[in-house]
Amino acid sequence: MKVFYIDTSSSYLYIGIVEDCKLKGSLKKEYGTNLSKYTMDEIAKLFSSLSLKPNDIDKIIVVSGPGSYTGIRIGMTIAKIYAFALQKEIITITSLDAMALSLDVDKVIVPLIDARRGFVYAGVYYKDTVLMPNQYLKLDDLCTYLDKLNKDYVFISNNSFPTLKVLPYSPDILKIVLKYQDKESINPHLVEPTYFKLTEAEENLRNSQDDN
Amino acid sequence: MKDIYILGIESSCDETSFSIVKNGIEEISTVISTQIDIHKKYGGVVPEIASRAHIKNITFVLEECLEQAKIKMEDITAIAITYGPGLIGSLLVGVECAKTLSFLYNKPLIPVHHIAGHIYANNLVKRLEFPLIALVISGGHTELIYMKSDYSFEKLGATLDDAVGECYDKVAKVLGIEYPGGPKIDKLASLGEKKYDLPIPLNDDTYDFSFSGLKSAVINLVHKEKLRGKEINKEDLAASFQDVVIKSLTKKTMHAVKEYNVKNLILAGGVAANSGIRKEFQKLCEENNINYTFPSIKYATDNAAMIASAGYYAYLKGRRADLTLNAVSSDELK
Repeated sequence: MKVFYIDTSSSYLYIGIVEDCKLKGSLKKEYGTNLSKYTMDEIAKLFSSLSLKPNDIDKIIVVSGPGSYTGIRIGMTIAKIYAFALQKEIITITSLDAMALSLDVDKVIVPLIDARRGFVYAGVYYKDTVLMPNQYLKLDDLCTYLDKLNKDYVFISNNSFPTLKVLPYSPDILKIVLKYQDKESINPHLVEPTYFKLTEAEENLRNSQDDN
Repeated sequence: MKDIYILGIESSCDETSFSIVKNGIEEISTVISTQIDIHKKYGGVVPEIASRAHIKNITFVLEECLEQAKIKMEDITAIAITYGPGLIGSLLVGVECAKTLSFLYNKPLIPVHHIAGHIYANNLVKRLEFPLIALVISGGHTELIYMKSDYSFEKLGATLDDAVGECYDKVAKVLGIEYPGGPKIDKLASLGEKKYDLPIPLNDDTYDFSFSGLKSAVINLVHKEKLRGKEINKEDLAASFQDVVIKSLTKKTMHAVKEYNVKNLILAGGVAANSGIRKEFQKLCEENNINYTFPSIKYATDNAAMIASAGYYAYLKGRRADLTLNAVSSDELK
């Protein structure tokens, strides 16, 4: 079985192809604001370097977010169209689930994505257990929660936080694919990004309705 | 010659659309998913909400388009995509979709400028005749274009500030009319008389337009009348406003028609659906013996059929993009 993995939820492009427990090829590269320009081209190059055709893939695993809204939609559009057009199975996982798998330590693992204005997207994991589900919350609230756990914890992130020591994220694509490749697939029409947050306009409208 | 089937994709603002057009003129199928109802409650298009709706709808719209056409992706000759100008987040969903299809089926990718699409909406009504002058008027654009042949564009002038459609929507807002207010102003104008005095903006010999001053003039007028305790007659204000818009558009456009000695004039863009503007151009073109075309209402607003039609002529001219094609929020029509 051949699985195509894609994560564009940050300013990095992470793609890989896994075949029968082996990582055949992958790319991890920071593109910043040029992610939309190069993602599809890099995918084509990866396929070509492995002499693979789009139809050779059996399954697609795509990171649905949370993270950069624009970034998420790049990978999600590609994965959705790919799965729909060639009738491939598609599985979504969150960016935080993927990040949690990149460390192998006997500590609580806290993947973290900067959501600005003192907020973060985070999850709290210990081995195979999710201690706190993925969510959008205040960084201060997360730290309070972690202190109460009374366990050693480690932050992992692509972003830097002035008050925190974080380990840089580099995905273990093979490990992620092996863990999630048997997860139930979704109808490509119904695959949607994980934003965890309404748009500002929707929030303002909701607040003004609450006030009335 | 073998028939050429172009799959057009349009997602530059708040419409997700796919279309298949044969040989640049024959529409096989077009599906448009509009988000007007979603954005209405915000008084205008909210870019992030638009992007979210595009990715939600995209495979449904593509599927319906292919089903209606009874054509398989394998039978498509090339894929034409609006790469800009427009809302960057919205454009990106369409561009990534087009690039993915191009990769999956090994089909050529044709980058199409949104304005070129609006011009070619007319080609689906009647084959364009050259040379021509095109007046493109919509919520985002007000441009005068000279074309001496297919897919060759020379910009003569454009708005220096607001687009004409944007001005319509803002005036509608001041009058308490729900978004999108343009069509309603057009309707009100037909019921009123030109009783309010408004200035004709940028009344000079250039081909440029300006509408922000006119918008301010309307806002000031409404406020002044309110302070005086007088009630605004909406029909009369709409008629006065539309009259000034028409004078500005027709003066510059007919000037270009004469200067460039062309016999063909086309209207394009969403505001080309405005009945007052259409009628005045009709009259002027009849008087001056000019062939005049405007798109049917169906093709005036954003749709992928116009992108597929423009894409056909871009394809014949050898225009191609590779997989590094990017969406751009603003770009000159070339």
